[in-house]
Amino acid sequence: MPGADKEADLTERIEAFLADLKRGGCGTGPIRGSGETARETTALLRKVTAQARWSSAGDLMEIIRKEGRRMTAAQPSETTVGNMVLRVLKIIREEYARSRGSSEETDQQESLHKLQHFVHLKANVIEAINELLTELDGTTDNIAMQALEHIHSNEVIMTVGRSRTVEAFLKDAARKRKFHVIVAECAPFCQGHEMATNLSKASIETTVIADAAIFAVMSRVNKVIIGTQTVLANGGLRAVNGTHTVALAARHHSTPLIVCAPMFKLSPQFPNEEDTFHKFVSPHEVLPFTEGEILSKVNVHCPVFDYVPPELITLFISNIGGNAPSYIYRLMSELYHPEDHDL
Amino acid sequence: QLEQELVEYFRTQVRQDPEVPSAVAAIRTLLEFLKRDQTGETILGLRENLTQTIRRLEEADSSVAVSSGGELFLRFISLTSLEHPDLSQCKKVMVERGELFLKKISLSRSKVAKLCHTFIKDGAKILTHSSSRVVLKVLESAAADKKRFTVYVTESQPDSAGQMADKLQNLNIPVTVVLDAAVGYIMEKVDLVIVGAEGVVESGGIINKIGTYQLAVCSKAHNKPFYVVAESFKFVRLYPLNQQDVPERFKYKADTLKAVEDLAEEHPMIDYTPPSLITLLFTDLGVLTPSAVSDELIKLYL
Repeated sequence: MPGADKEADLTERIEAFLADLKRGGCGTGPIRGSGETARETTALLRKVTAQARWSSAGDLMEIIRKEGRRMTAAQPSETTVGNMVLRVLKIIREEYARSRGSSEETDQQESLHKLQHFVHLKANVIEAINELLTELDGTTDNIAMQALEHIHSNEVIMTVGRSRTVEAFLKDAARKRKFHVIVAECAPFCQGHEMATNLSKASIETTVIADAAIFAVMSRVNKVIIGTQTVLANGGLRAVNGTHTVALAARHHSTPLIVCAPMFKLSPQFPNEEDTFHKFVSPHEVLPFTEGEILSKVNVHCPVFDYVPPELITLFISNIGGNAPSYIYRLMSELYHPEDHDL
Repeated sequence: QLEQELVEYFRTQVRQDPEVPSAVAAIRTLLEFLKRDQTGETILGLRENLTQTIRRLEEADSSVAVSSGGELFLRFISLTSLEHPDLSQCKKVMVERGELFLKKISLSRSKVAKLCHTFIKDGAKILTHSSSRVVLKVLESAAADKKRFTVYVTESQPDSAGQMADKLQNLNIPVTVVLDAAVGYIMEKVDLVIVGAEGVVESGGIINKIGTYQLAVCSKAHNKPFYVVAESFKFVRLYPLNQQDVPERFKYKADTLKAVEDLAEEHPMIDYTPPSLITLLFTDLGVLTPSAVSDELIKLYL
């Protein structure tokens, strides 16, 4: 039967996605960028809306929440998955409120309207999710478009590791301006090397430095532009390890620190809550297993993330424009509904 | 006279149930007034009588919360469509809404505790100031969650906070009382600071027992997170720029204000902590950064 086939197909896709998430977050950097994860999550949620069996907005939200919990449990450090689920839940609430009119109605009328508007609700929600997907597709371009306002000729810009958003940002500015980029290699995964190669292919003068040299070089830098994995609810960052060092060095030299992060990276988590933070990967990048003798006497850690407090950040550039870190709470209340914060 | 009765009612409420926030007792008193009042003939008259009663209650207990709680209550019950031609109908609607308001704010302390206790990690050392029932609730929930932590409480003169230490000991939480002057000394050992608030002002700063400002400055110097826990009815429409800007009616106890003529000789009971020293505020409206407070305040008062 076509119905049963579709359901089996949907479950299969969700399982494949979950397996991918579990595998994907290994230490050699993300196998997929967060943009792709966001897009896949949203596409999957759209499929769930279209194919799962539900008869009211409340039902749909329960189903999405259930799937969302499974997805975030598969890879807790990949916050974009959770963020997209929250966006979709907010969309459902908005479409439901719109289809019922914005006035307050009593409970009796609620159940009636739920059934009546079911067909329209489904179509509206799917349309809104499609809009969300278009927005996701355009985020990197929207951020890159703002590059010319922030980068001036003959500037020295510092960045850390590899971020696709920052790469696009710098390449866009390079079309019209000439500037110099210093890339910190970001041990032990040394993603900075790849970033430097890509930038020099776009004819940008690039220099690679070791992480230990960040403070020494900072006095010659005009701006620091970095990407991040997540933007936290207090305006702080959860970024690749080494970013806090760069932020402190920049604060010491009064160099502006600009973070390029699309809106789907904004998460309602706070940094001091339990268990939201760290992820450790295999320490063989730091101290290879061949050094057997030392390994038995020494503890080796390889953390993946760093926390950067909001006081060290000057500006957030996202697809909706530039914002100060103290404004993040407002953007959050626009994107997510407070009741959904705990999936 | 009715007003005397009401002040007595308020005082009995506070005496009977020491756990209840003074603002809740004040609001219960105002509800009583609404139910008993026979003299009001117009809605405007009713509002004026209520405002008078709030003034009277402020004279009995000069804390900021009574003032802000009273004003929020007044706005909540009167900003509905009171189009009934009959005054007693309107009064009934107002009483209903008043009961609703009361129910909502009685739950606010538990909401705050639920939000805050996840920020207390196992093995944490917490410093708190004076005796705050909200902080006590937060520590209770954290203890109920099987977390192990130790608490340092400041002695908080002139009316010492010995009671806080006793209550914590009853919950089997290891507690140490420290001198107010020892805050700088103890700050290096501590992981986080949690204080309550008597009032939260528009800038995102707080008004709290004297000594809080000192605590905040010290914790900033040592880079320790400074958390404030407060219910939303403590949000007050003030914008002090420094310590002198805080109105005198809040700074001193009600009895002092009535008895003494030259207030410059008196020791203030509260101080103002600016928002730059506060890390996060936990309220029943959610976890807020100090910059988010003014937004929430405006939404409450609109």
